Amino acid sequence: MSAFHPTSARFKQNAREALANVNIQAAMSTTGSGFVGKRAAARAALPEFDDLRDRARDLKNHVLGHLDLYLEHYEDQVTKAGGHVHWAETAEDARRIVLEICRKAGAKTVNKGKTMISEECGINDYLEENGIQPVETDLGEYIIQLRREAPSHIIAPAIHVTVPEVDALFREKHGHLDKDRPLDHALLLAEARKILREKYFEAEVGITGANMLVAETGQSVIVTNEGNGDLSQSLPRVHIVMASLEKIVPTLEDAANVLRVLARSATGQEMSVYTTFSSGPKRDADPDGPEEYHVVLLDNGRSGMIGTEFQEMLRCIRCGACMNHCPVYQAVGGHAYGWVYPGPMGAVLTPSLIGVEEGGQLPNASTFCGRCESVCPMRIPLPKMMRHWREREFERQLTPGAARFGLGVWRMVAGRRWLYGLASRMGAFGLRVWSRGRARIRKLPLGRGWTDHRDFPTPQGGTFQGQWRAKR
Amino acid sequence: MSARETILARIRRSAKAEGDRAANVRARLSGAAQPLTPRQGQTAGEERTLQFIAKAESVDATVTRLARLDDLPAALAEELRNRNLPAAIRTGEDPAFDRDWGTVERTKGTGRIEEPATLSRAPLAMAETGTLVLASGPENPVTLTFLGETHFVVIRESDIQAGFEDMWAEFRNRGLDPRTVNMVTGPSRSADIGQRLQLGAHGPVALHVFVVGE
Repeated sequence: MSAFHPTSARFKQNAREALANVNIQAAMSTTGSGFVGKRAAARAALPEFDDLRDRARDLKNHVLGHLDLYLEHYEDQVTKAGGHVHWAETAEDARRIVLEICRKAGAKTVNKGKTMISEECGINDYLEENGIQPVETDLGEYIIQLRREAPSHIIAPAIHVTVPEVDALFREKHGHLDKDRPLDHALLLAEARKILREKYFEAEVGITGANMLVAETGQSVIVTNEGNGDLSQSLPRVHIVMASLEKIVPTLEDAANVLRVLARSATGQEMSVYTTFSSGPKRDADPDGPEEYHVVLLDNGRSGMIGTEFQEMLRCIRCGACMNHCPVYQAVGGHAYGWVYPGPMGAVLTPSLIGVEEGGQLPNASTFCGRCESVCPMRIPLPKMMRHWREREFERQLTPGAARFGLGVWRMVAGRRWLYGLASRMGAFGLRVWSRGRARIRKLPLGRGWTDHRDFPTPQGGTFQGQWRAKR
Repeated sequence: MSARETILARIRRSAKAEGDRAANVRARLSGAAQPLTPRQGQTAGEERTLQFIAKAESVDATVTRLARLDDLPAALAEELRNRNLPAAIRTGEDPAFDRDWGTVERTKGTGRIEEPATLSRAPLAMAETGTLVLASGPENPVTLTFLGETHFVVIRESDIQAGFEDMWAEFRNRGLDPRTVNMVTGPSRSADIGQRLQLGAHGPVALHVFVVGE
């Protein structure tokens, strides 16, 4: 799957395939609980956590209201530190800029720390087509690069890959090693560490992402647990930062506010292992660090979201909490979403970035249970924005005929109180008869979309409206 | 129009805020916003030092307290022995390390591809999260922080700050302007293989901190 060919439009089919895929189901079965419990514990341990979320939201709202001014200040600071800012309106512009810098540096190999923006721009395929070998250094990204896949989670890109699959992959791709060598969790890690360590010293260019750009100082900030982003930017001669323009925070104190909610929301850590603030190329007296520092500032549709009902999505700090808590994501995994950003944040962002024709199916992949919004560190109203997309999809006649017909019937029934009451009483009665006295229904005619994956509860004790009247 | 102009013009048309936008930005950049420092980022004195140690240990770092910097060579030699590491250490030019290393062979320079043990001095730290704050430069080259199999770090007790806010204040106060500020909270780790957390992904497998009294 490549960034150039999103398959978001066939989400339903993707989801069906994912539900039938034994490996994906095995990997996903252990995913959610870990992240969810760790976030809850981190929140409980910090009494100020929810206040910090409010402030993080306000801080980003302030930035978006003044983004042009902050970007100008940020650019000045980068230039003063000896770095270069390159403005990219589209993914294509970003690809061209990155390739130009790599060519000037005479690069044969480019090391990459984890960057979602580069996935969005399809940098890897583009560099390869132009004779430059990109090497992903984040362990998860390395695994999916060898598998020639897109990430399935924004902070745990290889979360869908099982250990036996990694074992087989390394035996195939690391062909120079003894093919009967023993491998387990630790040995797999050691093997990747050794191979990538050599790559760090070979690459002429290192590309990293940015969790934040600090306007006050002109620094880019990356957060990792492995240290790969730091080796990728400290050993090669040229450091390229790929960042989208909404990553701006005004000051170092504002960066601290975001850091206090970021790791806790993502993995439940108080701090990720490495948080690095980088400014410009190495100083004159420095014995290590890059000689050139470039920031590719990507728009790719984001500036068009400002002032619209989707502006709030630009507060997102890419922690992944929404997908960790999403029942749909947990069932189908990230690849079903068909492009770079999965889960609830992807369902809102994808149609904004690649269009409602391509991405309009994703906002339908939600039960509107609201857990995503309740855990979002930036308090982004994700369900509300998915609803906006559904409205747009409906208005533009992109909703399939059967769904439009269903909505029409619903509207007709729900608008007539007597009819609604009659229909719900008959429905509840029918379900009770069908259940033959059991509390849960295993199979439901016309309702297999539900009962193939979980039981349907038998209605108990009258309709809601009936109970409401009785209790008043 | 250049891409820069197009993008900025588009934002300028749609960005909305109350008041004079330029004045708002100037105020914020000069520190007008009062940050919220959590209680755990406000400790002082011995409690702060103990908090730093406890937090660092909770993320798999190990810690030794030393009364004086003069005790460092002997303490380091012992740590290297206990970890079955060669009696050798790689450091930068930090004057704190210009001393008699006894049986330990000290070399100066940047990190090489295989580096069993490296030593840095952190100019600051934060008790809030057990985080070391390192600054790149000739005194403490950045590659030593990431290429050492075991990374040793010296921090003076008086350099341990409570949290982000007093740390940034002190950072500005000292006029530090390194190419990278490296915040380190425990040794490197990854859960990318089978979602099992393992230490030593690309950076150090072990992180040992010497907290020095004076």
